[in-house]
Amino acid sequence: MIKAVCGLLLRAFVVLSGATILTFALLWNAPGDPAQAIAMARFDALLTDEVVDQVRQEVGLDRSFWQAFWAWLGPLLTLDLGFSAVTGRPVWPDLAAAISYTFPLAFSSLAVGLAVSVPLALLATKRPGGWMDRLAVAAASLGNAIPAYWLGLILILLFSVKLAWLPALGASTPAHAILPALTLGLGVAASLTRIIRSGILEARGQPFLPAFRRRGIVEKSIGRDHVAPHAAIPVVTVLGLELAFLLEGLVLVEVIFGRPGLGTFLVQAILARDFAHVQAVVVLTALVFVAVNLAIDLTYRIVDPRIGESDA
Amino acid sequence: MTLNVTGLSAVRSGRTILHPTTLEIPPRSRIGLVGASGSGKSTLGHVLIDDLRARGYNVAHVPQSPDEALDPLRSMAFHWREAEMALGLATGSTDRVGLFRALKIEGGDMRKRPWGWSRGMQQRFVIAMALIGAPDLIVLDEPTSALDPVVAATTMDLLSVTLKDRNTAMLLITHDLGLAARRVDTLMVMDEGRLVERGRTEDILENPQTRAAKSLSAHRSWLALPC
Repeated sequence: MIKAVCGLLLRAFVVLSGATILTFALLWNAPGDPAQAIAMARFDALLTDEVVDQVRQEVGLDRSFWQAFWAWLGPLLTLDLGFSAVTGRPVWPDLAAAISYTFPLAFSSLAVGLAVSVPLALLATKRPGGWMDRLAVAAASLGNAIPAYWLGLILILLFSVKLAWLPALGASTPAHAILPALTLGLGVAASLTRIIRSGILEARGQPFLPAFRRRGIVEKSIGRDHVAPHAAIPVVTVLGLELAFLLEGLVLVEVIFGRPGLGTFLVQAILARDFAHVQAVVVLTALVFVAVNLAIDLTYRIVDPRIGESDA
Repeated sequence: MTLNVTGLSAVRSGRTILHPTTLEIPPRSRIGLVGASGSGKSTLGHVLIDDLRARGYNVAHVPQSPDEALDPLRSMAFHWREAEMALGLATGSTDRVGLFRALKIEGGDMRKRPWGWSRGMQQRFVIAMALIGAPDLIVLDEPTSALDPVVAATTMDLLSVTLKDRNTAMLLITHDLGLAARRVDTLMVMDEGRLVERGRTEDILENPQTRAAKSLSAHRSWLALPC
């Protein structure tokens, strides 16, 4: 257990340091003058070189890369995310506001994904190779192939423009979250359906099941106690990858639907070269990844006790 | 009570893999079903189990390997409980301790999963599970082929002792004539989905009548194996 925790901490350290250094370096070396971008975002106008130089000094861009990086990292070790180069406000309250929009959307999307994929996969596996199965596989393949930004626009066109049932832009009411959650959730559902379906079919082919039937164990118990746990193993693995897909999709979807979440927060920060904001999102994302991977590791050990056992 | 079955047959992908077969299995009998690989022995075993179970008999089955009988994700205690419930018995009502002692697996930790036990112990656990509720017939399908010869012989010895005081009949399916010769008093020989010969074990070994029986008994060196 101690070994596992140490391994996890080491992994978290590698992920966090790698992600923060890499993003900082990318932002630092991106074409164009970061001080100019910050000044333009701050004053919303073209400015003289003196003003730009003043901004450069003020936000510390006149230092070397490592000096600037340590200047950001030092306060972070005391959980201080620093101040925005554009607004001058502390990062944390703005980041917290963005999180309050993004996390509920991420969970609703995952819920939509599970609500669609689990029944669809169960229906598909009732008769493998039947019309329902082929339809589900075709729908899942189509869902995987459709990019989130295209689906988002189609949903806006259908439900907001043509039918006028749902609002398209903003995040002022819960109804505003429906189309973004559907856009992301249907993408998640597509890949989950394929994985759950193949997981169930593979689990049904386990070599011990015929003997269980001859032992007189009823199909309901076989499905619940033996097929479902085996089918859950690949699903747990894929859920981690789904999170990556979700985070990637969230940025696009928030921009398309004009939602003030982490995606919009990040895009604006990158355009303005607001190092503190970008780094805050990177640290948060890396932490979420580490936490989710830990949760998956632990779930994995519960679902498949062969993992991490010494007497296997 | 003698178990009688008639007209057992099986067709797969349009091909008859078991021609209509009639069997009579007296209580306490020890019958060996032998034949080359692919002759239809296991199919006959499966069809026989399904037919007898459908008619309300208590038939137990021990597959070739414990991998075909135990779920690696479930504990031994779970398997035992499930087997009891499948027979309509209250959990914990069966003489597990007695069966485990007879099969010498009383030291096995029931909280562990199958892979926490040795292969030999796993197979004996499967046999113990098969003997819950005193079955009318126990069908052993190549029960020792996944075990080394010494563990196989011990397992078969323990099974013989355990069955001694029971009315349970035993059908031993094997391609290993050496194993069958030591454990059964009646032999049935299968060839291409047909039961081609049936008789006392010594008679078939000494004086085989059909091509399949002659071919099997020609390999007398098998009889030197410990099981």
